[in-house]
Amino acid sequence: MMRYRLEVIALLAVLAFIGLFLYTTAAAPDAVFAGSDNVGSSQIAALTGKEMESFTPLIPQWKPPSGEIESALFALQAACGGLVAGYVFGRWKGEANRGRPD
Amino acid sequence: MHIMEGFLPWQWCLIWWVVALPFLVWGFFRLRRVLDTDREALPLLGVTGAFIFILSSLKLPSVFGSCSHPTGTGLSAICFGPAITSVVCLVVLLFQSLFLAHGGLSVLGANIVSMGVVGPVAGYLVYRALRNSRVNVYVTVFLTCALADLFTYLTTSLQLALAYPAPAEGGGVAASFGVFFGIFALTQIPLAIVEGIVLALVFKYIIQLKPEILFRLRIFPEQAIRAARGDA
Repeated sequence: MMRYRLEVIALLAVLAFIGLFLYTTAAAPDAVFAGSDNVGSSQIAALTGKEMESFTPLIPQWKPPSGEIESALFALQAACGGLVAGYVFGRWKGEANRGRPD
Repeated sequence: MHIMEGFLPWQWCLIWWVVALPFLVWGFFRLRRVLDTDREALPLLGVTGAFIFILSSLKLPSVFGSCSHPTGTGLSAICFGPAITSVVCLVVLLFQSLFLAHGGLSVLGANIVSMGVVGPVAGYLVYRALRNSRVNVYVTVFLTCALADLFTYLTTSLQLALAYPAPAEGGGVAASFGVFFGIFALTQIPLAIVEGIVLALVFKYIIQLKPEILFRLRIFPEQAIRAARGDA
């Protein structure tokens, strides 16, 4: 048990995090869970008294044509990181199993 | 923590680029030195960079009914210092600016300062303060990573407060900072805690699988690593 103490703590933290999310959705059913970036931008618009649409990019910017494509690109970003982390940990694990470094 | 493209006046964009550039130049020199002299450290650099890629792509719902994402910069700050971390963040933020419309090229300097400079520097200072103390290695990693995350969002709040202060009679920059702090930093607290624990777990696997790289880079005293492995 002591050997996996950190794993247990991580699992409990993730479960607590999920619990907080479920509590929030139950306590505030109309919560939309907008990104804090967007909430911050809305606050800027409120502070300056301007419409959100009046904040135009200083440098033209490509935007994903849909939310689904945006999600796919975020997943691609995570996958790139996952591939590198998986490869390195796999290699290290293989070296450890062979009991000698390459 | 992204400041969106067009939401920062050009003068502030310029100021934050000027602040970010010396760190990036320093980071490129440090990275070059690692590439030239210590190629065995490259897999570890890959792992720490990979976790910035992974964690900063996860938009997670938090309390207060909003979403945000971890940064993952603490582990890189511990292993390679804040300068190299700023270069890794440049790559991540550039990807998100160009392909996800999160952030933007004009505000890239401001976003690098928050995620790639202030967060990692704050985390690195915590790590340096605790490195040779009696504090457990994993607690040190947890605190470093959680605080690097929180300071990133504190910086974003300050950047926006400086650019958009409330009227003087309404409290000015301090009042505006309080508003942005409520939006960015409070949402981030549970995420920062989970991020700290997850990265401490990642560090445990690095200690178990490749302790010799940690010995050679002198990331922690050897006896602390051996104790964390259960060798001592």
